[in-house]
Amino acid sequence: MIGATIERGVATLTLRRAAKRNAMTPELLACLVTSIGQVSSGARAIVLAGEGTVFCAGFDLSLCREHPDGSVMRALLSGLSDVIVALRDQPRPVVMAAHGAAIAGGCALLGAADFVITNDDAKIGYPVARLGVSPAVSAPYLRLLVGDGAARERLLDSRLISGREAAGIGLATQSLASAADVGPAAQATARALANTPVEAISATRAWLHEVEGLGDAPWRALRASLALTGEEEERRMLPKAWTTRPTDSPN
Amino acid sequence: MLATLTIEGCIGTLTLNRPEARNALSLDLLEELHARVDEVSRRSDVNVIVLTGAGKAFCAGMDLRAVLDAPSLALTLLRSLADLTLKLRALSQVTVARVQGAAIGGGCGLTTVCDFAITHADSKMGFPEVDLGVCPAVVAPWLVRKLGAGRARAVLLRGGLMSGDEALAIGLVTLVTPAPTDLGPATDELVSRLATGGPAALAATKRLLNELDGSLDADIVRKGAELSARVLCTPEAQARLRARLTG
Repeated sequence: MIGATIERGVATLTLRRAAKRNAMTPELLACLVTSIGQVSSGARAIVLAGEGTVFCAGFDLSLCREHPDGSVMRALLSGLSDVIVALRDQPRPVVMAAHGAAIAGGCALLGAADFVITNDDAKIGYPVARLGVSPAVSAPYLRLLVGDGAARERLLDSRLISGREAAGIGLATQSLASAADVGPAAQATARALANTPVEAISATRAWLHEVEGLGDAPWRALRASLALTGEEEERRMLPKAWTTRPTDSPN
Repeated sequence: MLATLTIEGCIGTLTLNRPEARNALSLDLLEELHARVDEVSRRSDVNVIVLTGAGKAFCAGMDLRAVLDAPSLALTLLRSLADLTLKLRALSQVTVARVQGAAIGGGCGLTTVCDFAITHADSKMGFPEVDLGVCPAVVAPWLVRKLGAGRARAVLLRGGLMSGDEALAIGLVTLVTPAPTDLGPATDELVSRLATGGPAALAATKRLLNELDGSLDADIVRKGAELSARVLCTPEAQARLRARLTG
């Protein structure tokens, strides 16, 4: 489910579930946490990418439908939180190659990145409140990236934004014209980081974490998301994921 | 004098005056800046302050030559910079950095703590600390407040320099003029507009903004000076600095 290579100091972790648009399962997330632990000491920079046409379409909701008690949703939310924490806590700079789409849980991953490369037409956002699911788990990181005003809009509005808009509000570092250029650009950014003095990068990154001062916000955010899983609203609304689509038209 | 203060009407101009070294921040220059900032902070008749540099460049960054011979000086130098940023930020007057040529490293840090920064399209700005094996820890809290954490992260981890135009795009500066020669008139225009504000209203607004964004938290900036000094004394940083400064 996760490809891992290290080349010239750059570790590339690839979500490999292209047939499902790299939709996350609890196993995929656990595997990703393990891979992060394995590569972070041997690499000087990490790229996270997705195989196929999109970076990541979010949680695999078909699994959730099979478990209306919320057990799979809970495992997904906790697993997602574990991945974000693992990426932030390890010492290497992280570049995400978010081509095509980064939706819901896939968009939440961007909060763990130091650099996000996407493309102008990519679809990005958190269309999950419409499913009775709270994107609270993303809130601490999204606020850091885009500020309070834009974070509120993105978490409460199910509209998907384009990669170009994401770069405009600071959710992405860079948006390119073509999706095909995203992977190579992410690799180039990571190679440049790998060639920078490693102690200075690690110290600066750790210091930025301290300056950001998230404290226990990630834990409280996860708890807020978990509080709704398996409840009436989610059980009623989640099945609608197969009959309605998030809007990506300009508002 | 390595730092001068001139006052015309209600506008003060604080000038880094070490043009032969591109206004690199030596301990002596920093100490004089402290004195001038203390002086202007007591002037209730001044309500806008322009921070600028004499000569071709606003500021080339920290003067690290002395640190190569005496690494123990690193902490003194960085503490002085840290305290200067805190002092500039705490001024009740509105501050405007006028950046000609270049504002690099600690010099760019000084522009970051000002309320406004103005430069020209092809100036060079940024924080190349990591390229030299150095950690820009003193400026990090200020940059996070100014750009937001995401952009600050990309800027500080990527190192290198950016143009005035790029600095405008990410919010590091408020205004960019096409040519360096337009910088003076554009600054004058901005400053005279700012000077029309009620001094008490401006000071109260600034105080509130400083409270809201944690600018008065001196501990994090001083802790940054200690971290930065520690990284500056690592063999990797010392070797890179020596190559850069003596090569």
